[in-house]
Amino acid sequence: MNNHYIEHSRSGCALLGALATIAAINRVVPVVHSTAGCSIQYQEGIVPFGGSTPSGAQWGAPLSSSNISQKHVVFGGGSRLREQLKNTVKVVSADLFVVLTGCATEMVGDDIRAMTKEGREQGFPVICANTPGFGGSFHRGYQQAIRALIEQLPELQVEATPRNSLVNIWGVVPQQDAFWYGHLQQIEALLDESGIVANTLFGGERGLKEWKDIPYAALNVVVSQWGRETAILLEQKYGTPWIEVAGLPIGPLATDRLIQAIANYLPLDADALQSIQQRKQQQFSRTLATLGPVYYRIGLQREFAIVGELSLVSGVVYFLAHSLGLIPKLAIITDVRADEHSEAVTTSLIGVAGSSDISVEYSEDAGEIRDLLRSSDAELLIGSSLEREIAEELNVPLLAIFFPVADSLILNRGYLGDSGALALIEDIGGAILRSSRSAVSVDRVAQCAG
Amino acid sequence: MNLSGRSPASREKRLDTLSAYLGETSALLKEYESTEVDQRIRTFSQSTPDDVLSALKLLAGFRDAMTIIHGPRGCAASSVQLALAPAQEGRRGRWIVTNLNQRETIMGSDNKLRETVKANYSRYAPKAIFIVATPAVSINNDDIQSVANELSDELGVPIIPAYTSGFASKASVHGNDVAAHSLIKQLLPSTRGERGEHVNLLSTTELASDCHEAERLLVALGLESNTLPNATSIEVFRRAAEARLSVPLDYEATTYLGNALQELAQVPYLTLPRPIGVVATKQWLSGIGAATDRVQEALHLHIRETVAATAILQSSPLRGVRVYLSLSPSTALGVLDLVQELGGEIVGITVEHLDRLSLEGLRHYQQKASALHIHIGHGQGFEEVNLLRRIKPGLYVGSGSHITQIAQLGIPSLYLPRIPIIGYRGVVSFAREASKVLRNQSFVANLAKQDSVYLASWLQRSPNWHIKQEVK
Repeated sequence: MNNHYIEHSRSGCALLGALATIAAINRVVPVVHSTAGCSIQYQEGIVPFGGSTPSGAQWGAPLSSSNISQKHVVFGGGSRLREQLKNTVKVVSADLFVVLTGCATEMVGDDIRAMTKEGREQGFPVICANTPGFGGSFHRGYQQAIRALIEQLPELQVEATPRNSLVNIWGVVPQQDAFWYGHLQQIEALLDESGIVANTLFGGERGLKEWKDIPYAALNVVVSQWGRETAILLEQKYGTPWIEVAGLPIGPLATDRLIQAIANYLPLDADALQSIQQRKQQQFSRTLATLGPVYYRIGLQREFAIVGELSLVSGVVYFLAHSLGLIPKLAIITDVRADEHSEAVTTSLIGVAGSSDISVEYSEDAGEIRDLLRSSDAELLIGSSLEREIAEELNVPLLAIFFPVADSLILNRGYLGDSGALALIEDIGGAILRSSRSAVSVDRVAQCAG
Repeated sequence: MNLSGRSPASREKRLDTLSAYLGETSALLKEYESTEVDQRIRTFSQSTPDDVLSALKLLAGFRDAMTIIHGPRGCAASSVQLALAPAQEGRRGRWIVTNLNQRETIMGSDNKLRETVKANYSRYAPKAIFIVATPAVSINNDDIQSVANELSDELGVPIIPAYTSGFASKASVHGNDVAAHSLIKQLLPSTRGERGEHVNLLSTTELASDCHEAERLLVALGLESNTLPNATSIEVFRRAAEARLSVPLDYEATTYLGNALQELAQVPYLTLPRPIGVVATKQWLSGIGAATDRVQEALHLHIRETVAATAILQSSPLRGVRVYLSLSPSTALGVLDLVQELGGEIVGITVEHLDRLSLEGLRHYQQKASALHIHIGHGQGFEEVNLLRRIKPGLYVGSGSHITQIAQLGIPSLYLPRIPIIGYRGVVSFAREASKVLRNQSFVANLAKQDSVYLASWLQRSPNWHIKQEVK
């Protein structure tokens, strides 16, 4: 991602991403080997704004942390880690411990692989990942934590025969997607309706038992670019094929597309699938029609701008443009860097929007984002709570669904599948109803006329 | 006071600050009264804040300045809460992280810093720019000062580095001193104007309503208050040099600033307890009254204000309740009195750290509750859970994120950071919040059904098992 300076950054570093990822696996416990403060950055900066709190690490606080001091910076922190690890297993109840490094211990050059190996030789279930903050963003930490588990969990070093109905889901980053838990549960539920068993791996009771099933999947399904690295790794390791979908599935059309894509790899009954999807589409369409009176009264058909991560932006744009008649004007993607590869992302988003009228920008700098929004003339803004200031300035309704989310409470809600799509409409409608601008503003009419 | 270095010596060196201890209060007092205090370490520790976090929170108080967090992006994570703070708290600081990558942490990052300062100065034109150092740049000893000097001249705006490191001190409160050190050195006007009538109200992170209560009391005494560095501006901070005197709202966090103002600008600094509870608030007011020729006014104000508080004291929900506190030392020692005024019984305290600034309060605690232990630990939930399973208080008052683990023991728990506690109004709001916690415990009962993250074998061990004397 971006290596520019960032105003009001909306993603933590690799260590924090790895922490959130590990904490979202039941009874797997992170052991932070870094200076004091790193874990508090997670507790104060991620947990309150990242939606569902992982229950796995006792609601995210407190965490085992070596809190190295000056002495360790000068002479090395290896012995401190040895002590911390030896005692963590005597204090905290867990199935697996994962040592995560921060900037200081990486710069000092502590040999955590040796320390972890020593722990394993003494019979402690422990693995490690090098996750210094300077090594990348929160998303990178998600990938690194997963790689550590796949490469180091003894039960995953196997030759596997796939089970026909099982698929692993990759790319929903815990606490970076504030709806991560809800989204994973919704993916599980919507695939289940078609007889597909989704191994979603994070949240609730999902623990090592589910991780040990990874090699037996018939397919890896990547729902954001952040899952791609894992799918490639698993293809190399077990020969499992993988697919990547453009955007999280919101509404029956997108759900159908996802299931069709999976069906190419799994022996599913095509006729049965079709009748399920048809029934669901009819049902959805009936419910959508009940929106009629409100749709016109509050002017739901708006030109909107959206600021957030590619996978959910794609899902939202696709649904709003193809089922609800909204008009995507501007998408600012915060988790893709503007470079030679972003051209392809722009093309894909224009395809998703079904119109080349959408302009696509790439930034995670709050100042730059505000400037882009100012010139967008959008009538509805979907972004994070950091857009509150500009939404007030522009007097447009804001629905904050991207990290950080500060003005709503998320336990296990989500926007995927059919019920998620309806929840999205409800929330957009709520944002419009709460905002002062329900009538078309005179200034705007004048502007258009002029 | 030594203000010559780029940052203060560690709090441990200056004030014998301890971050780990569990034992008799009297033994600890004896150590402080002798010449040397032995540092303790933990052989198992849990997440605890560092000086970077404290400095960032203090500096976010300047509404018209900008903070540049010089480091990898994770060092800015917790600052999201500052960007999202409710506007009425007046602490919505603008910040930018330089977002260092591996190459920059090896090859040096001064160009990146320069570019960040210049681009954001031209976008926002802040009245000052703070540069907060993080562990990565501190280990590399990156040259922040010459970038600051150079751009300060070029842009004509104060650029102020705060040399926090994440490891120089084990107590995060040290970060307040580091920030104050830099502010004092670079923001105080070199020539002082005429001495004014205003009083510096030193506050770092108090709630807006707590600051308002203190300001209300100062105004009632006929004094003009100049609140800093919380929800303030560069101009207000500069006026501090011309104030009549400085009074702390939380001496733990602001004594360094107060002393520095006294030394450099001859503004007398009053050593006063936090005005928490009726008695301490009276003490706070009398201290200010005595220093400003308003002894009678202070007394009358106290008598007037106590009338409303008395009703609360008489119908107190805390009567007979066994209370445990886990707070910063200055807050714990203040709330301790408030709880006793409300008829509660203190059964133990955990303080985030302890040092010479709180010795008087500690003596007071020991006199009131001589048999009680003191626990020093910031965010060390595993020790508190172990301890509180034994003590079984009827109410826990805490400020850490491990409060959920305490509530999980079935102990009604009060989360203090969101509750106004200062002055007479603080008595009313504290009593009301405590009463709610005690009246309906159904959420706590549900938490108690969840499995503990701690092993039974740990909970059977002595809670101070992992606290050891540091081998020098």
